[in-house]
Amino acid sequence: MHRPTPGRLVRAAVAVSAATALTAALAGCATDVTRPRVEGSIGPVFANLYVQQQALLGHPGLTPTAVATKPTCHRTTPGSHDKGAGSDWICQVGWTDGTGKHQNGKFELQVRSNGCYQAGGPTKIVGPLMIQTSTDKQVINPVFEFDGCFDTT
Amino acid sequence: MTIPATTATAPVPPATIDLRPVGRGRVVTAYRWEITKLAAQARTRATLAVCLVAPFVFVVLLDRQDRLPKDTLYGRWVHASGFATPLMILGFAAQWVFPLLTSLVAGDIFASEDQHGTWKTILTRSHSRTQIFWAKTLAAATFATLVLTVLALSCLAAGVLLVGHQPLESLSGTLLPSGRTAGLVLAAWASALPPLLGFTALGIMLSVLTRSSPMGIVGPIVLGLVMQLYAFLNGADTIRHLLLVTPFDAWHGLLAAHPYYGPLRDGTLVSVGYILICLAVAYTALRRRDITGG
Amino acid sequence: MAVGVPAVEASGLVKRFGGLIAVDHVDLRVDVGEVYGILGPNGAGKTTFLRMLFGLIRPDAGTLRVFGRTWGDAGPSMLDGVAGFIESPRFYPYLSGRRNLDLLAGLDGGGADSRIDEVLDVVDLAGRAGDKVGGYSFGMRQRLGVAASLLRDPQLLVLDEPANGLDPAGIRDMRALVTRLAAGGLTVLLSSHNMDEVEEICDNVTIMRTGRVVYHGSINQLRAQAPDPSHRLVTSDDAQALRLGADHPAVSVSAHPDGGLALRAQPADADAYILALGQAGVAVRALHLEVAPLESLFFMLTESDPAAGFDVPAQTQPDTLTGATS
Repeated sequence: MHRPTPGRLVRAAVAVSAATALTAALAGCATDVTRPRVEGSIGPVFANLYVQQQALLGHPGLTPTAVATKPTCHRTTPGSHDKGAGSDWICQVGWTDGTGKHQNGKFELQVRSNGCYQAGGPTKIVGPLMIQTSTDKQVINPVFEFDGCFDTT
Repeated sequence: MTIPATTATAPVPPATIDLRPVGRGRVVTAYRWEITKLAAQARTRATLAVCLVAPFVFVVLLDRQDRLPKDTLYGRWVHASGFATPLMILGFAAQWVFPLLTSLVAGDIFASEDQHGTWKTILTRSHSRTQIFWAKTLAAATFATLVLTVLALSCLAAGVLLVGHQPLESLSGTLLPSGRTAGLVLAAWASALPPLLGFTALGIMLSVLTRSSPMGIVGPIVLGLVMQLYAFLNGADTIRHLLLVTPFDAWHGLLAAHPYYGPLRDGTLVSVGYILICLAVAYTALRRRDITGG
Repeated sequence: MAVGVPAVEASGLVKRFGGLIAVDHVDLRVDVGEVYGILGPNGAGKTTFLRMLFGLIRPDAGTLRVFGRTWGDAGPSMLDGVAGFIESPRFYPYLSGRRNLDLLAGLDGGGADSRIDEVLDVVDLAGRAGDKVGGYSFGMRQRLGVAASLLRDPQLLVLDEPANGLDPAGIRDMRALVTRLAAGGLTVLLSSHNMDEVEEICDNVTIMRTGRVVYHGSINQLRAQAPDPSHRLVTSDDAQALRLGADHPAVSVSAHPDGGLALRAQPADADAYILALGQAGVAVRALHLEVAPLESLFFMLTESDPAAGFDVPAQTQPDTLTGATS
């Protein structure tokens, strides 16, 4: 029988670990999750969802451009250099509401390495999980918690 | 007992012995038979039946739940739009269901010949190992494609029929028109085919190397979970790009307001790499091995 | 196909499994039309040789030709016109006997599927062809194996221990079938560990032992070299019989370890001795053949220490090819 012998397995294991170590060394600094990418994604996503929320609440006509989100994101873990996946991303998002008033909220983000994240906003400003529409229906508040993804390539 | 006319012919002088080929080996003949054998196996039929029914059961169970599966993408929208159901299941299936579904056949299709001792039976019938290898590989790939198609259509049907065809949120916070959404959902499922075939090749390789069905079936699942774990623990991104589970996320780009295709391109390349390497190893091993069992 | 191209021709064939030499420089030639036996105890290398013939195992050295073709230049078409099975035939248990044959006929091509009913009849399985092979007895699977081989309408039939696991009636049927197939002009190569079987149906034989050929030649020649048949004799007066034995130099009489006497002689000499016993007033109460002559030769060839030397030379060429059925 010519099954893989222990010697062969050991050699294969050594080769695989060597390749892994080499790739890891090459990987070094490159990372998919960066501050510009996170900021570039949560801004438009929140703007779009905010327009939806306002429409549900009976304030149609708002556009994402008018919402004009300005996110500033960072990671709270020291030494993380604001890059990499983690649940410690904080985004301070400023925007203009339907009345032209400036709003500001702190969003907590759980960013995964695949470029998708889950963001949760402050209930005081974005409202609760379920909201009542202008037509008296209970629906999910689109901005209470939301998902977004960005290109990691 | 009687002798058949064909073998009871008068003694033939050696000079006139007709050594016409009894049969010419053709991959398509062997492939047809691999499909027939698969169709005769309870496991194959059961898998397809589960793929057909499970999404409906899943949607019904989910409907009775108050808690939303928010940890999976589109989980928060499963009650709001029927199109969210297939996408949520797609995200969930990538974790271990896809490797399991394909390796049920791919991990067994070579090792079962060892289990039944039938290598000698088929390899002495005018077909080369190369032809048998490709026939089996194509059969496993056919099954993987079929399972993916059935599951995709069943998930889409379950969502649309039981929840409805309300507009779906894109991953950019915009609403997608329901006319385009069905196509996007199916495209998202289709994007799982390259990595699924990658796992098929992985199952084939393990099936050939270990000659054991359990190893061929469990191996890809375990490797898939290890890869998931690596991604979950935020390992180096360069390596993560080379993992076979990463392409399962490539559909995210299709569901953006401004679609991006980079992950799809990279994922397909990675999947093709896995397919080539695994099949090359499996092919070489099968060509070189001595069939001593059975 | 030129006249005289043998059905099977092996030269210098070697196969090692790790440190074990399973087949050690085996030369063998099976001519078209003969029934050829490869004889040896379990582990002698018979099955390994047949697996190499079918391309299931690749030899480490030497060449193997089937109807003049090698695996290297012909690939799987080397097996055109060749059918048979190695060890017990194996099938897919979840398919019926007929479905299994359908599958194999499909792989064979060349209209093999039109012979399915015919070969099922030949092996008496027509009535059970619709049942799943998983429910078949060992003997039925063996017969299905023969049917699967006949599907190929072979010119060379290779059978590895065809009687293995069969009951006496099954063995009788199997031998009758092989004999009839051979009478139809088929070349048959069979392996066995049973001298009786080979003696009954084979023209030429190769005897193997731990991977080596220890005898290669015709059955007739082997028979001539066999030692005298050995009997156990019980008489009314064993002491007197033993004394009379000394007067007959052609027979060897000695005390049998299990009681009675051991008698070794050619049949004619034994007859003379037993008649003499009667004339001397010694009644013969029992006389049975203990070891058939060829069987005892087989044991001597395959169990003796090769270093001790046995005077039957291993021959490189069978010398009675003209006696083959052709």
